[in-house]
Amino acid sequence: MYALGLAVRFIHLAGIILLVGAAATLLLAGRSDRPTALRWESRVLALSCAVAVLTLAAGLAALAAQTATLEGRAAAALEPAALARVLGETQSGHVWLVRQSLLLLLAAFLAVRWDVDRGIDWRAARGEAALLGAAALVLVGASGHAAAVEPGTARALGVDGVHLLAAGVWVGGLPPLLLLLRAAGREAGADARPHAVVAARRFSRAALVCVLALVLTGTLNAATQVATVAGLVGTTYGRLLLVKLALLLPILALAAVNRRRHLPRLGGDGATVGRPAMRRLARFVGWEAALALLLLAVVAVMSATPPARHEAPDWPFAFRLTTASLDDAPALRARALVGSQMAVLGLVGLLVALFVGAGRLALAGGALVVLAAGAGLALPALAVDAYPTTYLRPAVPYQALSITTGAGLYRTHCASCHGATGAGDGPEGRRLPRPPADLRASHTAQHTAGDLFWWISQGIPRSQMPAFGERLTVEERWDLVNFLRALSSGHAARSFGAAGALERPWLVAPDASFAVGPTPPHALTEYRGRRIVLLVLYALPASRPRVTQLAQNYDILATLGVEVIAVPVDAAADALRALGAEPRILFPVVTDGAAEIAAAYGLFAAAPHTEFLIDRQGYLRAIARSRGEAGELNPLLAAIQQLNEEKSPPAAPEEHVH
Amino acid sequence: MRAFTAVVLINLALGVGAGWGYLFWGVRAARLERDLAVARATAVSGVEREWRVDGVVRAILPEIGVLVLTHGEIAGYMPPMTMGFRAASPKITESVRVGDAVRFTLRGVPPNVAVTAIEKTP
Repeated sequence: MYALGLAVRFIHLAGIILLVGAAATLLLAGRSDRPTALRWESRVLALSCAVAVLTLAAGLAALAAQTATLEGRAAAALEPAALARVLGETQSGHVWLVRQSLLLLLAAFLAVRWDVDRGIDWRAARGEAALLGAAALVLVGASGHAAAVEPGTARALGVDGVHLLAAGVWVGGLPPLLLLLRAAGREAGADARPHAVVAARRFSRAALVCVLALVLTGTLNAATQVATVAGLVGTTYGRLLLVKLALLLPILALAAVNRRRHLPRLGGDGATVGRPAMRRLARFVGWEAALALLLLAVVAVMSATPPARHEAPDWPFAFRLTTASLDDAPALRARALVGSQMAVLGLVGLLVALFVGAGRLALAGGALVVLAAGAGLALPALAVDAYPTTYLRPAVPYQALSITTGAGLYRTHCASCHGATGAGDGPEGRRLPRPPADLRASHTAQHTAGDLFWWISQGIPRSQMPAFGERLTVEERWDLVNFLRALSSGHAARSFGAAGALERPWLVAPDASFAVGPTPPHALTEYRGRRIVLLVLYALPASRPRVTQLAQNYDILATLGVEVIAVPVDAAADALRALGAEPRILFPVVTDGAAEIAAAYGLFAAAPHTEFLIDRQGYLRAIARSRGEAGELNPLLAAIQQLNEEKSPPAAPEEHVH
Repeated sequence: MRAFTAVVLINLALGVGAGWGYLFWGVRAARLERDLAVARATAVSGVEREWRVDGVVRAILPEIGVLVLTHGEIAGYMPPMTMGFRAASPKITESVRVGDAVRFTLRGVPPNVAVTAIEKTP
């Protein structure tokens, strides 16, 4: 069923591309009164008509296959009610209706033998076929992956439309060009040879423009749909794109040979020019067309595959390249620096070799050696171990609830070796030949979440770290990863005073869900882009002076764009009543979710009373620890003012650890 | 018929079709927008309405007869927030204390609404 669906998708796509290419090639070739050229034209038109009918049929079958997929049962493919639902209620159904109508109109238009004796009639007839085909082709994109891009749907559709049209003119034009070259390359086709030469030259020029447009729009498409190297090499969609590129290379090589070698020899007569050159060109164009058809099959599979940006990448290499490997290693840094300089030198040498006359080979050879040596020196310094899950996106967001769940799992499964605080000093761990890792160290933050997930799941054989893949569920392992990330960044935040990370945001504030009384719960991320958050972890009675001070100055704080969220560390359900009627406290006091917030944020600072300043992008920017006494308000106001005055606010952190 | 004439007619028909579809779309969107505006207007003014809402008492200002409540969504009127509401009678401000979880009745012609009844919820 899946294969059948792919086949009809392929026929539908290739058919429309051929229709556009045929119409474009006829327009490019122009009118001719030579009998062979006229025979070619009417043959192309007849074939186009047949292709249009086939494309319509494939479109019907594709709709049936789509319906079966959407309804989740094969029988639905033939049920009128199910088909009507897909047509009436889905966007791809609407697009399908318009596209099939255009194709029907095109088929009917091609079936009529128009009288085209006058130039204007010829142009109108061929131009209309091109117009209808192009409209249908652009609509292929409107029911594809580009239509699902949010935000920027219009831009994605425009880019995809240009991509499809360029492919139509170039790839779709190859078969009709092949027919013309073969007809004119025959002994009897000599009358159409000048026409064929002109057509081939114009086509070549148009194809060059198309290839440039394809490269540009293809790059833009890949940037939206694939986005990362991990997506390119680690997902089905990305790998299909690599196959497509691998097929494109020989096609481009053939095209280059045609353009540089065969095209200039088409004119004139002789042993190696004229007719023999035309026959050779025809053969090359034939191969080009065959490869292009194969490429379209890959495209059809891609159109039925979820794009890489929605998939979890499966990293295929045992290493990855990152500059983070240089952070604590001065020797490696020097090596990477020297290596990269050498590589740049080699590249410059290669460029120079392109322009000098004498000694070009020697220079290029030397430059290559320098380049290779530089790469050989620099790349190993940048390589760190990687695993299949290295670029996996966490299945559980970086949230207080997940962190506290992870903390519980840590105490049960990990603390015996890694120690209660993560220092690697657990009672069991001391007996191991290799001491367990200090999980608070900054390098924990340098590994990707996927690395940690792999080690927890698979263990580390050489250091006797056991595998927990069987014992813990996927969500539990991600909870552990979130806890470890909070633990190590919390350790790094020890140095972080009231004037903490005001200059450079780097510490992501974990999200949290909280509720005040019986009202619906809020997420901390709801304040992103809107308010600065002052998260206050307080304990009564010690914190009462400070909470009173904040309550009395709440109007000033609110005017400065700050929301105060007070979290009782004892997580008392009657926190509001405990605070009492005086002073009037109008900011949210968390009565539901306080335990998780206190536990998770407690990893960042341990004090009787703590205040966390979270900027509008969701970064922790300052941590104030105290015993709850009413202190100066001015340092806090100054920090808030500095955040308000930031010229270019830092980019929002991802919702997940990375 | 000559090809040129036919093509002009076909494109004219396509253009008219697309234009008609666009207009149809636009007219429908305009109607929906008008309906929405009407619905909003009736929500904000005009008839007297009544809601029952869950919330929690944050402050009591008996001297001006106001209760500050953190409340859930008031359907068709306002999203969840903390704000002051006029109490219809002094009994209402006397019957609750700060920190009580309550279910209250809000009645009036927006924006002129008042708390007419309040009860504690466990």
